[in-house]
Parts: sequence; C-alpha cells; structure tokens
Amino acid sequence: MTWLFAPGPRGRIAALRTIAYLFIPIDVLLTTSWVGDHADVPGTLYQPLFVGRLLRLPPPGPVSVRVAMAALLVAALVAVTGRYPRLLGAAVAALYAWWMLVAMSYGKVDHDRFAFLVLLAVLPTVGAARQGDTTEDEASGWALRCVQLAVVATYLLAAVAKFRFGGLDWATGATLSRAILRRGTMLSEPLLEYRWLLVAMQFAIIAFELASPILLVGGRVSRGYVVFLYGFQLATFAGIGIIFLPHLVAMLAFLPVERVAAAFIERRRTRGQPVGRFAGSPDSAGAHG
Amino acid sequence: MLTPTGRAVRAVLAGLLVALAVAGTLVGQDDHFPFAPFRMFSTRTAPEGEVRVAELRGAVVGGSGEAVLSMASFGLRRAEVEGQIDRLRTPRMLGELVRSREAVRGDLPLLATLRLVQVHYDLRDGQEVGRRETTVAEWHR
Repeated sequence: MTWLFAPGPRGRIAALRTIAYLFIPIDVLLTTSWVGDHADVPGTLYQPLFVGRLLRLPPPGPVSVRVAMAALLVAALVAVTGRYPRLLGAAVAALYAWWMLVAMSYGKVDHDRFAFLVLLAVLPTVGAARQGDTTEDEASGWALRCVQLAVVATYLLAAVAKFRFGGLDWATGATLSRAILRRGTMLSEPLLEYRWLLVAMQFAIIAFELASPILLVGGRVSRGYVVFLYGFQLATFAGIGIIFLPHLVAMLAFLPVERVAAAFIERRRTRGQPVGRFAGSPDSAGAHG
Repeated sequence: MLTPTGRAVRAVLAGLLVALAVAGTLVGQDDHFPFAPFRMFSTRTAPEGEVRVAELRGAVVGGSGEAVLSMASFGLRRAEVEGQIDRLRTPRMLGELVRSREAVRGDLPLLATLRLVQVHYDLRDGQEVGRRETTVAEWHR
C-alpha cells in the first residue's frame, strides 16, 4: 500500500497531460485515422462489444462519430492548456473511451490502448499541476503508479495470453513468420529464411514480457528497461509496420519527463533575468550567498 | 496529502484495475475490451501449417478486369474483415461491404463485382513453400 501511494512528482502529471492531450489529435487524425472511417460503415458490419451492449449504446453513425470526434479534439486541445484539469480531463477520458469502442467494434480488438486509457482516466484525479514542478505528492504518485501497472500488465499479460491461446509451446511456432508474411517490410522479409532466428526472437519476446515487473522496482534498472522497450517497439515498427504509439506515450510515466520543463524554466530564469533580482530568494542563496 | 476516503477509493480502483486486467486475460474474450486478453500475436502458427490472408478483389462498372482493392476503401482494416469472415460468406453481406465502400469513398467508381478471397501460404519448417487461393464469397451488381 505504501508503494501505491509513494509520492510522485506533480510536474510529471503536468508533462503527461500536455503530451497525452497533444497526442490525441495526432492519433485521431493521423496515425489511426481509420477509426473515423467507421462513421460511414453500415450498421450491419457493427459488432458491439460487451460494454456497448451493457450501456445500450447505439451503433456509431455518420453524425455521432463526427460530433464525438469534434468534441474530443476540442476538449483535448483546451485541456492542453491545463485549464479545468479535472473537468476537461474527465471529458477527454470519456470521449476517448467511446472513440475506442467505435474503433474496436468492427471485428478486431487491439491491445495497445490499455495503458493510454488508464493514463487518461487517472490524469483528472490530480488537481492543477504546474510544468516543471518537482514537488511530490500522493495523488500524483498514485496516478503514475496506475499507469505503470497498466504498462506492466500489457507486457506480462501478453505473455500469459500467448500461453493461453497459443499454448506453452508458442515460442517454437511460426507466429513471427506469419506476421512477416502478412505485413513484412524490406527489413524483415529476409528474416523468413532464418527460422532459428525467428524462434530465438519469439523466446526473447516471452522472456522480456515475463520480466516486465522489473519496471516496478524503480531506479536505473527500470529506466533502462523502459529504454529497451522503446527500442523493441521501434524494431517492431521497422519489421511489421505496427507501432503502439498510445502505449509509448503512457510509458513516459516511468521517465522523469518533468525535468525537461524544469530545465527549460531554469534556463530561462538564469538567462532572461538579472541575477541580482533573485539575490534574496531562497533558491539562489546558495549560489550567491 | 490524500484524505482517508481519497486513499481508500484509490486503493480500491487500483485493485479493480489489476483484478479486471488479470481476469480478462485468464478467462475473458475480445468482447470484454478494455479488459480483454492482451492477445495480439498470441495464437501459435504451426511451422508446418498455413498462413491465411484475406483480400478483396473487384471490377469497376465499365472496367476491364478484376483488381485487388484496398480494405481502407471499405472503411475497414484487413483484420476487421478477417475477424468477421464467417459473417461475410454470403453475397448479401458482401453487398453490405459494397454499400460501405460507396458511403466511405463516394469518389471512387462503382463496383460491378466483388470477391472475398483467402490466400493461403503453405509453410514447411516455418517457410513459405506454396500459395493457394480460395474464394469465400462473390457479389455481382
């Protein structure tokens, strides 16, 4: 329980808000613009998910999808400014969740969104947060922990799913060959001739997915692992053209992203202001006193 | 500092998050999104088995021959067509795909025919050794 509420930097929440809310227009309009195409797909091809049936949501249509898209984009862009973080954050989370139901209700469910959905859901639980603020509190810590748990779940449970659906011998199969045959690139197609290498990569995938709880240990080991995971996702993109961008955004919860703004603010302060003006402030006392 | 209630609510929410994610992967299905199993690339392809890829092919009205059509022009992804392939086995449902294309990409020429094809790549020791095609369903205007 102490771990769950260990204080986390408030500035990281501010940074994640900026990045996540700015990412939404990119996601909606550019990198997964196919979601919006579902607006005009006839209702006969709609396959509502459990949540959609439970809430009796009507099938997405040309008007509802476009209205929701506009509302999501406006809410996200206003939320970037940091105003009304709870209200706007909750609106973005709800609209994006519905957007995801539109995405996944036509016969294919992706699992790259889980941590990003959790990120959007927990951001509004923290009140106003300033960029570069390095002070730590429990509310920020809990929110960051939830995102971190979701990232670990994405990897660890992906390994479990491979055992469940593919069997304990998943790693000796030809799943990567299949992925390359279906959507290979110039970089990956030559690998088809080296089956031993693809099998070795499958074992490696299972191994690093199972090792993902290391991320929760903290410190250098975790940060190193995060960097490795970014590398893996980029290699996947090079090999089969799939990139889990929302997941990559959520993974920033492990990194000290607040320091970017803190360094920027510090530089502006020391460059742009005469030193004497801050002579009496407590944080400059050490340097000039 | 969080209030005791704030802490309690957050502790329960975090517990639920983990419990639902684990339950989704152990016993859930895609239907339970966002708590569905994390199952992309989780099925095992047998090294001596086959890889199947769906294709939509069609001829436009007044056109001369059949061509492979982009799935995006139907407003769907390939994996979505494959995910619904059992429903798409009838000419009537292919007609729904045509209707979808006309709504999504009204700027494209109308289709005279549409064929849902499955391309099978036969594997031996994980390598492609042959290629076959089967027609799943056909539609004519």
